[in-house]
Amino acid sequence: MQIKDIRKSFRSGETVEEVLKGVDITLHEGEVTALVGTSGSGKSTLLTIAAGLQSSSDGSVLFEGKDLTLMNQEEIRQIRASAFGFVFQSAHLVPFLTVEEQLSLMLDVAHSALSKKERKAATAQMIEQVGLTHRKNAYPASLSGGEKQRVAIARALVHQPKILFADEPTAALDSKRSHDIMKQIQTLTKQMGIAVLLVTHDEEMLQYADRVVEMRDGVVV
Amino acid sequence: MKLAWKEMTRNKTKFVILGSIIFLVSFLTFMISGLANGLSQDNASLIKDLPDGTFLMSEDAEETVTYSRIDPQIQEKVLSDYPEAVGLSIQMGFLKDNEEKQQSVAFVASTGASYFEEPAQGEVFLDESLAEDQSVGEELLHEQSDMNFTAAGFVKQTTYSHSPVAFISLEDYEKMFRAEEMQLLFVPGEETVQAAGLQSFSKANFLDLIPSYSAEQLSLNMIVWFLVVISGLLFAIFFYMMNVQKIKLYGILKGIGVKTSTLFRMMWMQMMAIALVSLALSALLSQGFTMIAPANLPFSLPVETTLLLSVVFLAVGFVGATLSGIQIKKVEPLQAIQQGEV
Ligand SMILES: Nc1ncnc2c1ncn2[C@@H]1O[C@H](COP(=O)(O)OP(=O)(O)OP(=O)(O)O)[C@@H](O)[C@H]1O
Ligand SMILES: [Mg+2]
Repeated sequence: MQIKDIRKSFRSGETVEEVLKGVDITLHEGEVTALVGTSGSGKSTLLTIAAGLQSSSDGSVLFEGKDLTLMNQEEIRQIRASAFGFVFQSAHLVPFLTVEEQLSLMLDVAHSALSKKERKAATAQMIEQVGLTHRKNAYPASLSGGEKQRVAIARALVHQPKILFADEPTAALDSKRSHDIMKQIQTLTKQMGIAVLLVTHDEEMLQYADRVVEMRDGVVV
Repeated sequence: MKLAWKEMTRNKTKFVILGSIIFLVSFLTFMISGLANGLSQDNASLIKDLPDGTFLMSEDAEETVTYSRIDPQIQEKVLSDYPEAVGLSIQMGFLKDNEEKQQSVAFVASTGASYFEEPAQGEVFLDESLAEDQSVGEELLHEQSDMNFTAAGFVKQTTYSHSPVAFISLEDYEKMFRAEEMQLLFVPGEETVQAAGLQSFSKANFLDLIPSYSAEQLSLNMIVWFLVVISGLLFAIFFYMMNVQKIKLYGILKGIGVKTSTLFRMMWMQMMAIALVSLALSALLSQGFTMIAPANLPFSLPVETTLLLSVVFLAVGFVGATLSGIQIKKVEPLQAIQQGEV
Protein backbone atom coordinates (compact mmCIF):
# COMPACT_ATOMS: atom_id res chain seq x y z
CA MET A 1 0.00 0.00 0.00
CA GLN A 2 1.25 3.43 -0.91
CA ILE A 3 0.04 6.46 0.99
CA LYS A 4 0.83 9.51 -1.12
CA ASP A 5 0.74 13.15 -0.17
CA ILE A 6 -2.30 12.71 2.09
CA ARG A 7 -3.79 15.91 3.41
CA LYS A 8 -6.67 16.32 5.78
CA SER A 9 -8.26 19.39 7.22
CA PHE A 10 -11.12 19.68 9.67
CA ARG A 11 -13.36 22.65 9.65
CA SER A 12 -14.87 23.84 12.91
CA GLY A 13 -16.94 26.92 12.29
CA GLU A 14 -14.76 29.58 10.70
CA THR A 15 -11.38 27.98 11.35
CA VAL A 16 -9.94 25.29 9.13
CA GLU A 17 -7.32 23.17 10.78
CA GLU A 18 -4.95 21.19 8.62
CA VAL A 19 -4.15 18.01 10.52
CA LEU A 20 -2.24 16.16 7.81
CA LYS A 21 -0.06 18.25 5.57
CA GLY A 22 1.06 15.83 2.89
CA VAL A 23 2.12 12.46 4.28
CA ASP A 24 3.84 9.71 2.28
CA ILE A 25 4.28 6.21 3.67
CA THR A 26 4.65 2.88 1.92
CA LEU A 27 3.66 -0.36 3.63
CA HIS A 28 5.34 -3.62 2.64
CA GLU A 29 4.21 -7.23 2.86
CA GLY A 30 5.28 -8.93 6.06
CA GLU A 31 6.63 -5.69 7.49
CA VAL A 32 5.57 -3.84 10.60
CA THR A 33 5.62 -0.08 10.11
CA ALA A 34 5.35 1.77 13.39
CA LEU A 35 3.94 5.27 13.42
CA VAL A 36 4.98 7.36 16.40
CA GLY A 37 4.67 10.99 17.35
CA THR A 38 3.22 13.35 19.89
CA SER A 39 -0.42 13.32 20.73
CA GLY A 40 -2.44 15.20 18.15
CA SER A 41 0.19 14.83 15.45
CA GLY A 42 -2.34 13.10 13.21
CA LYS A 43 -1.40 9.42 13.53
CA SER A 44 -4.92 8.08 14.03
CA THR A 45 -6.27 10.33 11.33
CA LEU A 46 -3.72 8.99 8.88
CA LEU A 47 -4.40 5.37 9.87
CA THR A 48 -8.15 5.68 9.47
CA ILE A 49 -7.79 7.37 6.09
CA ALA A 50 -5.46 4.61 4.90
CA ALA A 51 -7.98 2.06 6.18
CA GLY A 52 -10.86 3.66 4.30
CA LEU A 53 -12.68 4.65 7.48
CA GLN A 54 -12.70 8.33 6.60
CA SER A 55 -11.96 10.37 3.54
CA SER A 56 -8.93 12.55 2.94
CA SER A 57 -9.00 16.11 1.69
CA ASP A 58 -6.31 15.42 -0.86
CA GLY A 59 -3.79 12.79 -1.88
CA SER A 60 -4.15 9.13 -2.71
CA VAL A 61 -4.07 5.73 -1.06
CA LEU A 62 -2.98 3.11 -3.57
CA PHE A 63 -3.89 -0.46 -2.79
CA GLU A 64 -3.25 -3.20 -5.33
CA GLY A 65 -3.01 -0.58 -8.03
CA LYS A 66 -6.29 1.15 -7.19
CA ASP A 67 -6.86 4.44 -5.45
CA LEU A 68 -9.00 4.05 -2.34
CA THR A 69 -9.76 7.77 -2.27
CA LEU A 70 -11.58 7.47 -5.59
CA MET A 71 -13.79 4.53 -4.61
CA ASN A 72 -17.39 4.66 -3.48
CA GLN A 73 -18.56 3.49 -0.05
CA GLU A 74 -19.51 0.02 -1.21
CA GLU A 75 -16.18 -0.63 -2.94
CA ILE A 76 -14.32 0.52 0.15
CA ARG A 77 -16.51 -1.66 2.35
CA GLN A 78 -15.67 -4.70 0.25
CA ILE A 79 -11.97 -4.01 0.55
CA ARG A 80 -12.23 -3.43 4.29
CA ALA A 81 -14.11 -6.69 4.68
CA SER A 82 -11.83 -8.86 2.59
CA ALA A 83 -8.36 -7.31 2.66
CA PHE A 84 -8.06 -5.30 5.88
CA GLY A 85 -7.88 -6.26 9.52
CA PHE A 86 -8.35 -3.91 12.46
CA VAL A 87 -7.11 -3.85 16.04
CA PHE A 88 -7.75 -0.84 18.20
CA GLN A 89 -7.19 0.22 21.75
CA SER A 90 -10.29 -1.65 22.81
CA ALA A 91 -11.18 -4.99 21.34
CA HIS A 92 -14.64 -4.06 20.04
CA LEU A 93 -15.95 -7.59 20.18
CA VAL A 94 -19.61 -8.39 19.51
CA PRO A 95 -21.03 -8.95 23.01
CA PHE A 96 -23.41 -11.75 22.08
CA LEU A 97 -20.97 -13.92 20.14
CA THR A 98 -18.50 -16.45 21.52
CA VAL A 99 -14.81 -16.24 20.66
CA GLU A 100 -15.30 -18.81 17.93
CA GLU A 101 -18.34 -17.01 16.53
CA GLN A 102 -16.50 -13.66 16.39
CA LEU A 103 -14.09 -15.27 13.97
CA SER A 104 -16.65 -17.07 11.87
CA LEU A 105 -18.60 -13.82 11.57
CA MET A 106 -15.46 -12.21 10.16
CA LEU A 107 -15.13 -15.03 7.64
CA ASP A 108 -18.76 -14.52 6.62
CA VAL A 109 -18.26 -10.80 6.21
CA ALA A 110 -15.08 -11.31 4.19
CA HIS A 111 -16.98 -13.66 1.86
CA SER A 112 -14.28 -16.19 2.43
CA ALA A 113 -14.14 -18.79 -0.30
CA LEU A 114 -13.51 -21.48 2.28
CA SER A 115 -15.90 -24.39 2.74
CA LYS A 116 -17.68 -24.85 6.04
CA LYS A 117 -15.13 -27.36 7.18
CA GLU A 118 -12.19 -25.24 6.14
CA ARG A 119 -13.69 -22.30 7.97
CA LYS A 120 -13.94 -24.30 11.14
CA ALA A 121 -10.35 -25.38 10.76
CA ALA A 122 -9.15 -21.84 10.01
CA THR A 123 -11.07 -20.49 13.00
CA ALA A 124 -9.75 -23.19 15.31
CA GLN A 125 -6.20 -22.67 14.10
CA MET A 126 -6.36 -18.93 14.58
CA ILE A 127 -7.74 -19.32 18.09
CA GLU A 128 -4.99 -21.81 18.82
CA GLN A 129 -2.38 -19.34 17.63
CA VAL A 130 -3.50 -16.69 20.04
CA GLY A 131 -3.63 -19.35 22.76
CA LEU A 132 -7.35 -19.22 23.51
CA THR A 133 -8.50 -22.68 22.52
CA HIS A 134 -9.69 -23.34 26.06
CA ARG A 135 -11.81 -20.16 25.91
CA LYS A 136 -13.28 -20.60 22.46
CA ASN A 137 -16.85 -20.84 23.72
CA ALA A 138 -16.56 -17.91 26.10
CA TYR A 139 -18.41 -14.63 25.62
CA PRO A 140 -16.49 -11.33 25.70
CA ALA A 141 -17.93 -10.35 29.08
CA SER A 142 -16.05 -13.21 30.73
CA LEU A 143 -12.69 -12.50 29.10
CA SER A 144 -9.85 -10.44 30.56
CA GLY A 145 -8.61 -7.35 28.75
CA GLY A 146 -5.59 -9.20 27.34
CA GLU A 147 -7.72 -12.13 26.23
CA LYS A 148 -10.15 -9.80 24.49
CA GLN A 149 -7.33 -8.12 22.66
CA ARG A 150 -6.04 -11.52 21.55
CA VAL A 151 -9.50 -12.35 20.21
CA ALA A 152 -9.48 -9.03 18.38
CA ILE A 153 -6.15 -9.96 16.77
CA ALA A 154 -7.44 -13.38 15.81
CA ARG A 155 -10.53 -11.80 14.30
CA ALA A 156 -8.45 -9.25 12.43
CA LEU A 157 -6.31 -11.97 10.86
CA VAL A 158 -8.60 -14.98 10.40
CA HIS A 159 -9.66 -13.94 6.90
CA GLN A 160 -6.01 -13.52 5.87
CA PRO A 161 -6.10 -9.81 5.10
CA LYS A 162 -3.36 -8.01 3.20
CA ILE A 163 -2.98 -5.22 5.74
CA LEU A 164 -3.45 -5.02 9.49
CA PHE A 165 -4.25 -1.60 10.93
CA ALA A 166 -3.42 -1.40 14.61
CA ASP A 167 -4.05 1.84 16.52
CA GLU A 168 -2.51 1.60 19.98
CA PRO A 169 -3.47 -2.05 20.43
CA THR A 170 -1.56 -2.32 23.70
CA ALA A 171 -2.48 0.99 25.29
CA ALA A 172 -4.96 -0.58 27.67
CA LEU A 173 -2.71 -3.45 28.72
CA ASP A 174 0.10 -3.83 31.23
CA SER A 175 3.68 -4.22 30.08
CA LYS A 176 3.82 -8.02 30.11
CA ARG A 177 0.58 -8.40 28.19
CA SER A 178 1.62 -5.69 25.76
CA HIS A 179 4.70 -7.68 24.88
CA ASP A 180 2.59 -10.83 24.44
CA ILE A 181 0.22 -9.07 22.09
CA MET A 182 2.97 -7.45 20.05
CA LYS A 183 4.86 -10.71 19.75
CA GLN A 184 1.74 -12.33 18.44
CA ILE A 185 1.10 -9.57 15.95
CA GLN A 186 4.70 -9.77 14.79
CA THR A 187 4.91 -13.53 14.35
CA LEU A 188 1.47 -13.95 12.78
CA THR A 189 1.84 -11.16 10.26
CA LYS A 190 5.35 -12.32 9.30
CA GLN A 191 4.02 -15.84 8.84
CA MET A 192 1.11 -14.68 6.72
CA GLY A 193 2.96 -11.95 4.83
CA ILE A 194 0.68 -9.21 6.10
CA ALA A 195 1.68 -5.54 6.09
CA VAL A 196 1.12 -3.83 9.43
CA LEU A 197 0.55 -0.17 10.17
CA LEU A 198 1.02 0.17 13.92
CA VAL A 199 0.38 3.35 15.87
CA THR A 200 1.94 3.29 19.31
CA HIS A 201 3.03 5.54 22.13
CA ASP A 202 5.05 2.87 23.82
CA GLU A 203 8.76 3.03 22.99
CA GLU A 204 9.17 -0.55 24.17
CA MET A 205 6.93 -1.77 21.41
CA LEU A 206 9.17 -0.34 18.73
CA GLN A 207 11.40 -3.42 18.98
CA TYR A 208 8.69 -5.31 17.12
CA ALA A 209 8.68 -2.87 14.23
CA ASP A 210 10.72 -3.19 11.06
CA ARG A 211 10.43 0.50 10.38
CA VAL A 212 9.60 3.47 12.52
CA VAL A 213 8.02 6.58 11.04
CA GLU A 214 7.73 9.65 13.20
CA MET A 215 5.11 12.29 12.68
CA ARG A 216 4.96 15.80 14.02
CA ASP A 217 2.26 18.35 13.31
CA GLY A 218 0.90 16.49 10.34
CA VAL A 219 4.15 15.71 8.57
CA VAL A 220 6.62 12.85 8.64
CA VAL A 221 9.95 13.86 10.16
CA MET B 1 -29.27 -15.20 10.06
CA LYS B 2 -27.19 -16.29 12.96
CA LEU B 3 -26.47 -12.80 14.26
CA ALA B 4 -30.13 -11.99 14.81
CA TRP B 5 -30.79 -15.27 16.52
CA LYS B 6 -27.65 -15.15 18.67
CA GLU B 7 -28.50 -11.71 19.93
CA MET B 8 -31.99 -12.78 20.87
CA THR B 9 -30.85 -15.85 22.78
CA ARG B 10 -28.14 -13.88 24.58
CA ASN B 11 -30.56 -11.09 25.53
CA LYS B 12 -33.65 -13.15 26.28
CA THR B 13 -35.13 -10.82 28.87
CA LYS B 14 -35.21 -7.85 26.54
CA PHE B 15 -36.86 -9.72 23.74
CA VAL B 16 -39.25 -11.63 25.99
CA ILE B 17 -40.45 -8.31 27.42
CA LEU B 18 -41.14 -6.92 23.97
CA GLY B 19 -42.80 -10.19 22.99
CA SER B 20 -45.07 -10.14 26.02
CA ILE B 21 -46.12 -6.57 25.36
CA ILE B 22 -46.94 -7.37 21.75
CA PHE B 23 -48.75 -10.48 22.93
CA LEU B 24 -50.87 -8.51 25.39
CA VAL B 25 -51.71 -5.76 22.92
CA SER B 26 -52.59 -8.17 20.13
CA PHE B 27 -54.59 -10.38 22.48
CA LEU B 28 -56.54 -7.35 23.65
CA THR B 29 -57.10 -6.36 20.04
CA PHE B 30 -58.37 -9.80 19.10
CA MET B 31 -60.70 -9.88 22.10
CA ILE B 32 -62.13 -6.44 21.41
CA SER B 33 -62.53 -7.25 17.76
CA GLY B 34 -64.35 -10.42 18.83
CA LEU B 35 -66.61 -8.33 21.05
CA ALA B 36 -67.30 -5.79 18.30
CA ASN B 37 -68.21 -8.51 15.93
CA GLY B 38 -70.20 -10.37 18.57
CA LEU B 39 -72.13 -7.24 19.47
CA SER B 40 -72.98 -6.53 15.86
CA GLN B 41 -74.15 -10.11 15.54
CA ASP B 42 -76.16 -9.66 18.72
CA ASN B 43 -77.55 -6.37 17.52
CA ALA B 44 -78.72 -7.20 14.05
CA SER B 45 -78.15 -10.78 13.03
CA LEU B 46 -81.54 -10.69 11.29
CA ILE B 47 -79.90 -8.40 8.72
CA LYS B 48 -76.27 -9.47 9.04
CA ASP B 49 -76.96 -13.09 8.21
CA LEU B 50 -78.73 -12.20 4.97
CA PRO B 51 -76.75 -12.49 1.76
CA ASP B 52 -75.43 -9.28 0.18
CA GLY B 53 -78.16 -7.35 -1.53
CA THR B 54 -80.13 -4.14 -1.77
CA PHE B 55 -82.57 -2.83 0.80
CA LEU B 56 -85.25 -0.50 -0.50
CA MET B 57 -87.37 1.88 1.56
CA SER B 58 -89.57 4.80 0.64
CA GLU B 59 -87.73 8.02 -0.02
CA ASP B 60 -90.01 10.07 2.23
CA ALA B 61 -89.15 7.87 5.23
CA GLU B 62 -85.90 9.82 5.51
CA GLU B 63 -83.87 6.73 6.31
CA THR B 64 -86.06 5.64 9.21
CA VAL B 65 -87.33 2.12 8.77
CA THR B 66 -90.47 2.64 10.89
CA TYR B 67 -91.64 5.53 8.68
CA SER B 68 -91.19 3.66 5.45
CA ARG B 69 -94.27 2.66 3.43
CA ILE B 70 -93.76 0.90 0.15
CA ASP B 71 -96.32 1.54 -2.55
CA PRO B 72 -98.02 -1.85 -3.24
CA GLN B 73 -97.78 -1.37 -7.01
CA ILE B 74 -94.07 -0.76 -6.91
CA GLN B 75 -93.68 -3.67 -4.55
CA GLU B 76 -95.57 -5.85 -6.99
CA LYS B 77 -93.25 -4.80 -9.78
CA VAL B 78 -90.02 -5.35 -7.84
CA LEU B 79 -91.16 -8.73 -6.57
CA SER B 80 -92.07 -9.88 -10.07
CA ASP B 81 -88.85 -8.46 -11.59
CA TYR B 82 -86.73 -10.19 -8.99
CA PRO B 83 -88.15 -13.55 -8.00
CA GLU B 84 -85.72 -13.80 -5.08
CA ALA B 85 -86.85 -10.48 -3.58
CA VAL B 86 -88.99 -10.27 -0.45
CA GLY B 87 -91.08 -7.60 1.26
CA LEU B 88 -90.27 -7.13 4.90
CA SER B 89 -91.69 -5.26 7.89
CA ILE B 90 -90.19 -4.80 11.32
CA GLN B 91 -91.89 -3.32 14.40
CA MET B 92 -90.67 -3.23 17.97
CA GLY B 93 -93.20 -4.42 20.54
CA PHE B 94 -93.89 -6.64 23.53
CA LEU B 95 -95.20 -10.13 24.11
CA LYS B 96 -96.58 -11.18 27.49
CA ASP B 97 -96.48 -14.79 28.62
CA ASN B 98 -98.98 -16.45 30.99
CA GLU B 99 -96.80 -15.54 33.94
CA GLU B 100 -97.49 -11.92 33.01
CA LYS B 101 -93.87 -11.43 32.03
CA GLN B 102 -93.27 -8.79 29.35
CA GLN B 103 -90.71 -9.56 26.71
CA SER B 104 -89.47 -6.93 24.29
CA VAL B 105 -89.27 -8.31 20.77
CA ALA B 106 -88.91 -7.18 17.16
CA PHE B 107 -91.94 -8.39 15.18
CA VAL B 108 -90.94 -9.39 11.68
CA ALA B 109 -93.27 -10.34 8.84
CA SER B 110 -92.31 -11.06 5.25
CA THR B 111 -93.83 -11.89 1.90
CA GLY B 112 -91.67 -14.91 1.26
CA ALA B 113 -90.12 -17.70 3.21
CA SER B 114 -86.79 -17.72 1.38
CA TYR B 115 -84.87 -15.92 4.12
CA PHE B 116 -87.29 -15.66 7.02
CA GLU B 117 -89.57 -17.93 8.96
CA GLU B 118 -93.16 -17.69 7.81
CA PRO B 119 -95.48 -18.96 10.50
CA ALA B 120 -99.16 -19.69 10.02
CA GLN B 121 -101.69 -17.18 11.35
CA GLY B 122 -101.76 -17.11 15.14
CA GLU B 123 -98.35 -18.65 15.43
CA VAL B 124 -94.97 -17.13 16.24
CA PHE B 125 -91.36 -18.25 15.79
CA LEU B 126 -89.05 -16.82 18.42
CA ASP B 127 -85.35 -16.17 18.67
CA GLU B 128 -83.58 -18.91 20.60
CA SER B 129 -82.66 -16.50 23.41
CA LEU B 130 -86.34 -16.66 24.50
CA ALA B 131 -86.23 -20.43 24.81
CA GLU B 132 -85.10 -20.04 28.42
CA ASP B 133 -88.46 -18.66 29.54
CA GLN B 134 -90.82 -19.82 26.81
CA SER B 135 -91.49 -23.24 25.40
CA VAL B 136 -93.14 -24.51 22.24
CA GLY B 137 -96.91 -24.45 22.48
CA GLU B 138 -97.02 -21.66 25.04
CA GLU B 139 -99.57 -18.88 24.60
CA LEU B 140 -98.29 -15.32 24.25
CA LEU B 141 -100.31 -12.14 24.30
CA HIS B 142 -99.78 -8.91 22.36
CA GLU B 143 -101.61 -6.49 24.65
CA GLN B 144 -101.97 -3.47 22.37
CA SER B 145 -103.89 -5.46 19.76
CA ASP B 146 -105.22 -8.07 22.18
CA MET B 147 -104.02 -10.85 19.87
CA ASN B 148 -102.87 -14.24 21.03
CA PHE B 149 -99.98 -16.23 19.56
CA THR B 150 -98.79 -19.77 20.02
CA ALA B 151 -95.04 -20.29 20.15
CA ALA B 152 -94.50 -22.60 17.19
CA GLY B 153 -90.72 -22.93 17.49
CA PHE B 154 -87.39 -21.22 17.94
CA VAL B 155 -84.89 -19.95 15.39
CA LYS B 156 -81.12 -19.72 15.65
CA GLN B 157 -79.77 -16.34 16.77
CA THR B 158 -81.95 -13.78 15.02
CA THR B 159 -82.00 -10.30 16.51
CA TYR B 160 -82.78 -6.77 15.46
CA SER B 161 -81.70 -3.68 17.38
CA HIS B 162 -80.58 -5.94 20.25
CA SER B 163 -84.10 -7.44 20.57
CA PRO B 164 -84.98 -11.04 19.87
CA VAL B 165 -86.99 -11.41 16.70
CA ALA B 166 -90.57 -12.77 16.69
CA PHE B 167 -91.60 -13.94 13.23
CA ILE B 168 -95.35 -13.59 12.63
CA SER B 169 -97.52 -14.03 9.58
CA LEU B 170 -98.21 -11.15 7.23
CA GLU B 171 -101.95 -11.25 8.04
CA ASP B 172 -101.34 -10.99 11.77
CA TYR B 173 -98.85 -8.18 11.19
CA GLU B 174 -101.39 -6.18 9.17
CA LYS B 175 -103.99 -6.59 11.89
CA MET B 176 -101.61 -5.80 14.74
CA PHE B 177 -100.15 -2.64 13.31
CA ARG B 178 -102.99 -1.69 10.95
CA ALA B 179 -100.48 -1.41 8.14
CA GLU B 180 -101.29 -2.64 4.68
CA GLU B 181 -97.94 -1.66 3.24
CA MET B 182 -94.53 -3.28 3.78
CA GLN B 183 -91.67 -1.17 5.11
CA LEU B 184 -88.83 -2.73 3.17
CA LEU B 185 -87.93 -4.70 0.09
CA PHE B 186 -84.84 -6.86 0.08
CA VAL B 187 -83.33 -7.90 -3.25
CA PRO B 188 -80.41 -10.30 -2.94
CA GLY B 189 -77.52 -9.94 -5.40
CA GLU B 190 -74.33 -8.02 -5.98
CA GLU B 191 -75.70 -5.16 -8.02
CA THR B 192 -77.66 -2.27 -6.60
CA VAL B 193 -81.37 -2.29 -7.47
CA GLN B 194 -83.22 0.98 -8.03
CA ALA B 195 -86.97 1.56 -8.03
CA ALA B 196 -89.17 4.63 -8.42
CA GLY B 197 -89.77 6.53 -5.19
CA LEU B 198 -87.57 4.15 -3.26
CA GLN B 199 -84.17 4.70 -1.75
CA SER B 200 -81.57 1.92 -2.10
CA PHE B 201 -79.16 0.80 0.59
CA SER B 202 -76.42 -1.78 0.54
CA LYS B 203 -76.46 -4.23 3.42
CA ALA B 204 -73.64 -2.39 5.20
CA ASN B 205 -75.38 0.96 4.76
CA PHE B 206 -78.66 -0.43 5.93
CA LEU B 207 -77.02 -1.84 9.08
CA ASP B 208 -75.80 1.66 9.88
CA LEU B 209 -79.42 2.86 9.89
CA ILE B 210 -80.22 0.61 12.82
CA PRO B 211 -80.11 2.74 15.96
CA SER B 212 -77.06 1.91 18.15
CA TYR B 213 -75.45 -0.25 15.47
CA SER B 214 -73.08 2.28 13.95
CA ALA B 215 -72.32 3.90 17.29
CA GLU B 216 -71.29 0.58 18.81
CA GLN B 217 -69.27 -0.52 15.84
CA LEU B 218 -67.57 2.80 15.40
CA SER B 219 -66.27 3.00 18.94
CA LEU B 220 -65.19 -0.64 19.11
CA ASN B 221 -63.49 -0.53 15.75
CA MET B 222 -61.75 2.64 16.79
CA ILE B 223 -60.34 0.86 19.81
CA VAL B 224 -59.20 -2.00 17.60
CA TRP B 225 -57.33 0.24 15.15
CA PHE B 226 -56.00 2.33 17.97
CA LEU B 227 -54.46 -0.79 19.50
CA VAL B 228 -52.98 -1.77 16.16
CA VAL B 229 -51.36 1.64 15.83
CA ILE B 230 -50.10 1.45 19.42
CA SER B 231 -48.45 -1.87 18.75
CA GLY B 232 -46.74 -0.37 15.71
CA LEU B 233 -45.50 2.47 17.89
CA LEU B 234 -44.32 -0.03 20.48
CA PHE B 235 -42.25 -1.79 17.88
CA ALA B 236 -40.87 1.52 16.69
CA ILE B 237 -40.01 2.76 20.16
CA PHE B 238 -38.58 -0.53 21.32
CA PHE B 239 -36.36 -1.01 18.30
CA TYR B 240 -35.40 2.64 18.46
CA MET B 241 -34.16 2.22 22.01
CA MET B 242 -32.41 -1.02 21.16
CA ASN B 243 -30.79 0.57 18.14
CA VAL B 244 -29.61 3.53 20.17
CA GLN B 245 -27.96 1.14 22.62
CA LYS B 246 -26.39 -0.68 19.72
CA ILE B 247 -25.10 2.29 17.72
CA LYS B 248 -21.59 1.44 18.76
CA LEU B 249 -21.98 -2.21 17.87
CA TYR B 250 -23.36 -1.24 14.48
CA GLY B 251 -20.38 1.05 13.96
CA ILE B 252 -17.96 -1.76 14.73
CA LEU B 253 -19.78 -4.22 12.53
CA LYS B 254 -19.78 -1.70 9.72
CA GLY B 255 -16.11 -1.04 10.41
CA ILE B 256 -15.15 -4.65 9.83
CA GLY B 257 -17.21 -4.59 6.65
CA VAL B 258 -20.75 -5.74 7.52
CA LYS B 259 -23.28 -4.33 5.06
CA THR B 260 -25.95 -1.92 6.25
CA SER B 261 -28.55 -4.14 4.60
CA THR B 262 -27.36 -7.05 6.72
CA LEU B 263 -27.96 -4.98 9.84
CA PHE B 264 -31.46 -4.11 8.64
CA ARG B 265 -32.19 -7.73 7.88
CA MET B 266 -31.02 -8.61 11.36
CA MET B 267 -33.52 -6.18 12.85
CA TRP B 268 -36.35 -7.35 10.60
CA MET B 269 -35.73 -10.97 11.46
CA GLN B 270 -35.92 -10.16 15.14
CA MET B 271 -39.06 -8.11 14.69
CA MET B 272 -40.72 -10.84 12.64
CA ALA B 273 -39.72 -13.59 15.05
CA ILE B 274 -41.10 -11.73 18.06
CA ALA B 275 -44.25 -10.66 16.28
CA LEU B 276 -45.00 -14.10 14.84
CA VAL B 277 -44.59 -15.87 18.16
CA SER B 278 -46.65 -13.29 20.08
CA LEU B 279 -49.37 -13.21 17.42
CA ALA B 280 -49.57 -16.98 17.19
CA LEU B 281 -49.96 -17.16 20.93
CA SER B 282 -52.69 -14.53 21.16
CA ALA B 283 -54.50 -15.91 18.09
CA LEU B 284 -54.49 -19.34 19.67
CA LEU B 285 -55.72 -18.05 23.01
CA SER B 286 -58.46 -15.88 21.53
CA GLN B 287 -59.65 -18.75 19.34
CA GLY B 288 -59.64 -20.93 22.44
CA PHE B 289 -61.74 -18.31 24.17
CA THR B 290 -64.29 -18.47 21.33
CA MET B 291 -64.83 -22.08 22.24
CA ILE B 292 -65.27 -21.61 25.98
CA ALA B 293 -67.03 -18.22 25.90
CA PRO B 294 -70.41 -18.28 27.68
CA ALA B 295 -73.32 -18.46 25.23
CA ASN B 296 -74.87 -15.16 26.28
CA LEU B 297 -71.61 -13.23 25.86
CA PRO B 298 -71.70 -11.46 22.53
CA PHE B 299 -68.37 -12.68 21.17
CA SER B 300 -67.56 -13.81 17.67
CA LEU B 301 -64.06 -13.96 16.23
CA PRO B 302 -63.81 -15.65 12.84
CA VAL B 303 -60.40 -17.07 11.92
CA GLU B 304 -60.30 -14.74 8.90
CA THR B 305 -60.55 -11.68 11.15
CA THR B 306 -57.71 -13.01 13.30
CA LEU B 307 -55.57 -13.57 10.22
CA LEU B 308 -56.37 -10.17 8.77
CA LEU B 309 -55.51 -8.42 12.03
CA SER B 310 -52.30 -10.45 12.34
CA VAL B 311 -51.19 -9.38 8.88
CA VAL B 312 -51.92 -5.76 9.76
CA PHE B 313 -49.92 -6.16 12.99
CA LEU B 314 -46.96 -7.55 11.07
CA ALA B 315 -47.10 -4.77 8.51
CA VAL B 316 -47.36 -2.07 11.16
CA GLY B 317 -44.54 -3.65 13.19
CA PHE B 318 -42.39 -3.81 10.09
CA VAL B 319 -42.94 -0.14 9.34
CA GLY B 320 -42.30 0.79 12.98
CA ALA B 321 -39.07 -1.16 13.18
CA THR B 322 -37.87 0.13 9.82
CA LEU B 323 -38.54 3.77 10.67
CA SER B 324 -36.60 3.42 13.89
CA GLY B 325 -33.87 1.64 11.97
CA ILE B 326 -33.10 4.62 9.80
CA GLN B 327 -30.47 5.58 12.39
CA ILE B 328 -28.57 2.40 11.50
CA LYS B 329 -27.96 3.89 8.10
CA LYS B 330 -26.41 6.98 9.62
CA VAL B 331 -23.93 5.20 11.88
CA GLU B 332 -20.33 6.01 11.03
CA PRO B 333 -17.89 3.22 11.89
CA LEU B 334 -15.13 5.71 12.69
CA GLN B 335 -16.61 7.13 15.90
CA ALA B 336 -17.49 3.71 17.23
CA ILE B 337 -14.04 2.35 16.58
CA GLN B 338 -12.17 5.20 18.20
CA GLN B 339 -14.20 5.00 21.39
CA GLY B 340 -13.80 2.67 24.34
CA GLU B 341 -15.54 -0.53 25.31
CA VAL B 342 -18.95 -1.57 23.98
N1 LIG C 1 -13.34 14.52 13.45
C1 LIG C 1 -12.49 15.51 13.79
N2 LIG C 1 -12.90 16.78 13.76
C2 LIG C 1 -12.05 17.79 14.10
N3 LIG C 1 -10.78 17.61 14.47
C3 LIG C 1 -10.32 16.35 14.50
C4 LIG C 1 -11.14 15.22 14.17
N4 LIG C 1 -10.40 14.10 14.31
C5 LIG C 1 -9.18 14.51 14.71
N5 LIG C 1 -9.12 15.83 14.82
C6 LIG C 1 -7.93 16.61 15.22
O1 LIG C 1 -6.85 16.20 14.44
C7 LIG C 1 -5.66 16.18 15.21
C8 LIG C 1 -4.98 14.85 15.08
O2 LIG C 1 -5.77 13.84 15.69
P1 LIG C 1 -5.34 12.34 15.76
O3 LIG C 1 -6.38 11.59 16.46
O4 LIG C 1 -4.99 11.88 14.40
O5 LIG C 1 -4.04 12.43 16.63
P2 LIG C 1 -3.12 11.27 17.16
O6 LIG C 1 -1.78 11.51 16.61
O7 LIG C 1 -3.74 9.96 16.90
O8 LIG C 1 -3.13 11.58 18.70
P3 LIG C 1 -3.09 10.54 19.91
O9 LIG C 1 -1.69 10.10 20.00
O10 LIG C 1 -3.49 11.36 21.09
O11 LIG C 1 -4.05 9.46 19.60
C9 LIG C 1 -6.05 16.53 16.63
O12 LIG C 1 -5.71 17.88 16.87
C10 LIG C 1 -7.53 16.34 16.64
O13 LIG C 1 -8.12 17.25 17.53
MG1 LIG D 1 -4.65 8.41 18.07
